[in-house]
Amino acid sequence: MVQHTQELRKLIAQALPELDVVLAWTSGSNQLASAPLFITAEDDLDKLDFGPMHVQNLAAYLPSLKGRKVGIVTRGCDSRTIIELLQEKLINRDEITIFGIPCTGAVNIRKVREAADGQRLRSVEAGKDIVSVTTDEGVRTIPMQDVLMEKCYNCPSQTPLIHDHMVTERNGCHMTGEAPESTLDKLDAMEPDARFAFWEESMDRCIRCYACRNACPLCVCKDSCVAQSRDPHWVDLSDNPREKLMFQAIHALHTAGRCTECGECERACPMGIPILAMKQALNRRIKHLFDYEAGMDMENTPPLFMFRQQEEHIKERDAR
Amino acid sequence: MSTVRFLKARDIAPWLEELSRDFTVLAPAQHGSSIVFREFDPARGIELSQLSTTPAKRALLPPCETLFEYETTKTLEPPYKTSIELKPTLPEGKSVVFGARPCDARAMQIFDRVYNGDQVKDPYYTARRDNATIVTLACSEQEEACFCDRVGGSPVDATGSDILLTPLKAGYVAEALTPKGEKLLKSTSFMKAEGLRQEALNSRNRILEQVPERSSFLDMERNLLSLFGDLGFWDKTAEACLSCGACTYLCPTCYCFNITDETRGESGRRIRTWDNCMSSQFTLEGSGHNPRPSKAHRMRNRIGHKFSYYPQLHDKTLACVGCGRCVSNCPVSFDIRNAVACAIQQAGAIQEQAHD
Amino acid sequence: MTSNPPNVYLPDMATIVEVVQETPAIKTFRVVLNSEERMQAFNFEPGQVGQLSVLGVGESTFVINSPPTRKDYLQFSVMKVGELTSRLHRLKAGDQIGVRAPLGNAFPYESMKGKNIVFIGGGIGMAPLRTLLLFMLDNRADYGDITLLYGARSPRDMAYGYEVEEWLQRKDMRTVLTVDNGTPEWKHKVGLIPNILREINPSPENTVAVTCGPPIMIKFTVQALQELGFDDEQVVTTLEKRMKCGVGICGRCNMGTSYVCKDGPVYTLAQLKQLPNEM
Repeated sequence: MVQHTQELRKLIAQALPELDVVLAWTSGSNQLASAPLFITAEDDLDKLDFGPMHVQNLAAYLPSLKGRKVGIVTRGCDSRTIIELLQEKLINRDEITIFGIPCTGAVNIRKVREAADGQRLRSVEAGKDIVSVTTDEGVRTIPMQDVLMEKCYNCPSQTPLIHDHMVTERNGCHMTGEAPESTLDKLDAMEPDARFAFWEESMDRCIRCYACRNACPLCVCKDSCVAQSRDPHWVDLSDNPREKLMFQAIHALHTAGRCTECGECERACPMGIPILAMKQALNRRIKHLFDYEAGMDMENTPPLFMFRQQEEHIKERDAR
Repeated sequence: MSTVRFLKARDIAPWLEELSRDFTVLAPAQHGSSIVFREFDPARGIELSQLSTTPAKRALLPPCETLFEYETTKTLEPPYKTSIELKPTLPEGKSVVFGARPCDARAMQIFDRVYNGDQVKDPYYTARRDNATIVTLACSEQEEACFCDRVGGSPVDATGSDILLTPLKAGYVAEALTPKGEKLLKSTSFMKAEGLRQEALNSRNRILEQVPERSSFLDMERNLLSLFGDLGFWDKTAEACLSCGACTYLCPTCYCFNITDETRGESGRRIRTWDNCMSSQFTLEGSGHNPRPSKAHRMRNRIGHKFSYYPQLHDKTLACVGCGRCVSNCPVSFDIRNAVACAIQQAGAIQEQAHD
Repeated sequence: MTSNPPNVYLPDMATIVEVVQETPAIKTFRVVLNSEERMQAFNFEPGQVGQLSVLGVGESTFVINSPPTRKDYLQFSVMKVGELTSRLHRLKAGDQIGVRAPLGNAFPYESMKGKNIVFIGGGIGMAPLRTLLLFMLDNRADYGDITLLYGARSPRDMAYGYEVEEWLQRKDMRTVLTVDNGTPEWKHKVGLIPNILREINPSPENTVAVTCGPPIMIKFTVQALQELGFDDEQVVTTLEKRMKCGVGICGRCNMGTSYVCKDGPVYTLAQLKQLPNEM
């Protein structure tokens, strides 16, 4: 990993004179979390770091930096977001320099907490196939396989689908065996009543901070969002799980067929509400109806962005 | 001399059940992967092992509060007069907050200066405040993100509490600090324990000894003013910020609110709800003009409010209690401790230049 | 002296007695509190503001632009810019409205006594100046020379036309009108307010300038006043902010330590310079 970081620093240093800013990661002051790093000078490169604990999808910052020359350190999954943003013309390809890195999986800190039986985490270190966790009761190791982010289990490509520079590839994703049961799996197994009860209970702890929305790279109408708009007045501000769920439903519908399931919504939620499952459920429909996955092909158009008289997989005319 | 009692760990739940008959009892409970303050439910139990994800502030400032109800009536005959009746809905009933941490209790005094000031009394707040008893649990140690010691508090501070619980083996020493607290200690759930006063004090002192020596954020309120004009500093500070409200809503001292009307048919309610100064919409005017248009402006206001504006207005008390919830829950790991330390350093440099 | 109800969030219900269409975008509402007793006891000072409620839509802040010396009704002028103001514009005489007033501070009309006054108002910014101007005209002997420079985008955007004519006629004040875009019928100045101000060239000697208008106009007017030799203490302005509680709690209208709803809306330039620039 050290070797890769050195190589990445070198690549960025060479390109930096032509760029306004390069988006990368640094290890946060808190042992348990990484932070985005905005590199504007060569000195900043000392702080650069990456690995399984560096988790933010940096592409989320790109639309707000439109018009500037931006470099971005990119994993396979992040590149899908970039492709989607390009498809939607929310960013310009010629303004963006992509520094690709081979990804070995990203750690979901919440799963680490659960695996540590709710023990207070002092520090977490990601090794090759294991995560070492220091709690008040000492150090313990957890297989990386058990604590990856949801998206890692179905990762179509560890390396970015598009890039301008690439750190030497190496093999070895930590994703080797079966994926653990996801929230969506659990929801699939429920009756509709139980499913609704699950969401009512989960949304009950929502504090309406909208970290889910603001962390979402594809939520681009932040200033006129239904969550706050009073005209139209679609969402009531009462402290009521149904109103909160209403927002999540709208969010999920707005991102259907656009969402690359990067998981930032769920990762950003300070209350640990498993909202990614809603997007996964809708994307599954999109896949079924349109045979489409977001952010895989720059030449493609998201299915809900276009109209066809006859969709190949929707046989409504035949049914009639 | 205040009353001292002992509460066995296994007697907590029965005591809270007993209290629930006369009070709304708020206590931290596990909720999914979070720990939230909510109405005590024996089936859910309580969770005291770690600092709760949400602060205890909802006891005094609920996320949503009805200010009044309104009802419109129209006459059916000409000249079709409309009349509107307003019905204020002041909160009633008594509450107990169980398991607040010293930071949470201290934060409530920060509200008091604003909501129960000399000039303005917020009737909703004061009603809740007068009827709330705060039972605080002294911390056994500081967590990763904690910094109460740097903002004028401590892990065992009793400020703002009616009862202070000090954990000892197998239970808690409960000391009443106010008449409200004394009343609660009359319950038969407690054992007599006058002799444990010293042991509790010793235990708290041991915890205090573990607090590391580190720089304080006190007495900087005027220094920070020199950073008002340096928007570049705030730009850099706020660059990764997503402008979400995780920090403000989880903050035990953030008290800004929104007021909106929610109507159903001819009647409705005017409610106030938590609001977030990091959102661009917070100050956006009807005309489209925004006095805090960028993240930098908003970050300056948020840090300014806690570490400069509020202490200038209120006897140098910081409007931050150092609970660290904003640090450990920020999706981009923004660390207010670093930001304030940087601001203090930068302000110092500006002043040195001015002197040269 | 406060005439607020004990519950600071509870509006007085009031009846609109008259609506005046001032300009295509501005309507003036004259309102009377439904409680006769409350209306009798209602006291305020020029410059103070109120929160107007349309129940079901919300509240917004407007200056009471009738002077305390004329108390048949309370007058508020509203420019249609957003959701609430659009709803206000649909109200007619006889309709019900909520009023929380008075809020905030007032113009320093006591310390202005014996001084010359220059009013500089732009667009809807004329509303707060009107209060003070009428108050001073009602107490004319207390003040020195009074000059009014009032500008709007075009002649039809000029509010209070019915009074402007009277002000132009008055011998005990000087009135200068300007518009950004003139029409063939327009007999007055054409040009931006700061430029016309330089033309008028008022002496700063024993004078206070009172200005209100859009933020950009205030910025350049203040520059012009400084060029003319006005000290920061001699420039008074009144600010508009998005407000909710109106009593210094909810946290959105502050500039540093100062809450516009409670410590403002009236500030001298000297006071503003002590605060972060969040106009």
